[in-house]
Amino acid sequence: MANHSQFGFQDASSPIMEELVEFHDHALMVALAICSLVLYLLTLMLAEKLSSDTVDAQEVELIWTILPAIVLIMLALPSLQILYMMDEIDEPDLTLKAIGHQWYWSYEYTDFKDLSFDSYMVPTAELPLGHFRLLEVDHRVVIPMESPIRIIVTADDVLHSWAVPSLGVKTDAIPGRLNQTSFITTRPGIFYGQCSEICGANHSYMPIVVESAPLTYFESWSSLLSS
Amino acid sequence: MLASRVFSLVGRRSICTSLCLRAHGHAGVVKAEDYTLPVYVDRRDMPLPEVAFVRDLSAQQKALKEKEKASWTALSVDEKVELYRIKFNETYAEMNKGTNEWKTVLGGVLFFLGLSGVILIWQKHFMYGPIPHTFSEEWVSAQTKRMLDMRVNPVEGISAQWDYEKNEWKK
Repeated sequence: MANHSQFGFQDASSPIMEELVEFHDHALMVALAICSLVLYLLTLMLAEKLSSDTVDAQEVELIWTILPAIVLIMLALPSLQILYMMDEIDEPDLTLKAIGHQWYWSYEYTDFKDLSFDSYMVPTAELPLGHFRLLEVDHRVVIPMESPIRIIVTADDVLHSWAVPSLGVKTDAIPGRLNQTSFITTRPGIFYGQCSEICGANHSYMPIVVESAPLTYFESWSSLLSS
Repeated sequence: MLASRVFSLVGRRSICTSLCLRAHGHAGVVKAEDYTLPVYVDRRDMPLPEVAFVRDLSAQQKALKEKEKASWTALSVDEKVELYRIKFNETYAEMNKGTNEWKTVLGGVLFFLGLSGVILIWQKHFMYGPIPHTFSEEWVSAQTKRMLDMRVNPVEGISAQWDYEKNEWKK
């Protein structure tokens, strides 16, 4: 989850998110370079150090065509690399389904057992001391850590979106459509997210909580819940 | 003809009114009556305007123009200045000097910022209800403890700033 008044990304807990954080740093560096150049030229102009009697400007025209092309290539290449990386699905260990309803999520683990449950937000008045307001749920999505997970997202009524920022996952839940995405958690922990597509009155009150635990804990949890 | 009259009306309205000009301290720009006729302008990039500034010369000025036709060394400094003022309205120094517009702009900006602040304070005091109980100091410290226990953001975030051995924040 995010810290109080946090401005940047949450720490990555999946390899894709790590890549995205690095790319974001790279893109911001490019943006800083461009903004510094613009600020420098602006100060030159305001201090009247740039002359205005240029009629033929072949050299500078060449520079301000080539340089933006280079900048665009510098941004496009890593971006496309990550985009294709996101589409790599290498043999998930587990497939789970997330179905969005108004206003809760339901999850189905039907690989080995017939396990399905609903996940409602814990109302603020019923929160135990120290728990996170508008983020806690009654039943978390438990997954084994460091295993590729495939998740199929859909919705029952209106558009929703299943998002967990620290995993770098955001997938729209569309009624009548199955959207697939996958992720691997690099560390155990509890990762929070919120519904990311406006879906009615309680759109802000249907969070997602992913709990990543070692395989043995996952197995005992799933047998407990499905019994 | 009608089109140029309409255009000059629009042109007049788009230029700052003379009252506004005097408030900022630059009452020197001559407004063009009709954009197709030769005009006088005070512009850095037009050093030789199409017409002289003073069109109708007084008798004294006409005499001076006659004297100009002779050798210029015979002219006094005052006469030279008078001839300049017939030809041009402002000197380059007068043309280029800054205005006090920035004070008005800054004042306006600060005023509206202050006004927004007053509105926000009024809203907080008179309009909004109490904040959720999860902002109490007891809850926030329990919450922070829980975040550290579950190792939230351990790489560069909050858990990376806690010293787990010494049980205190890292220095």
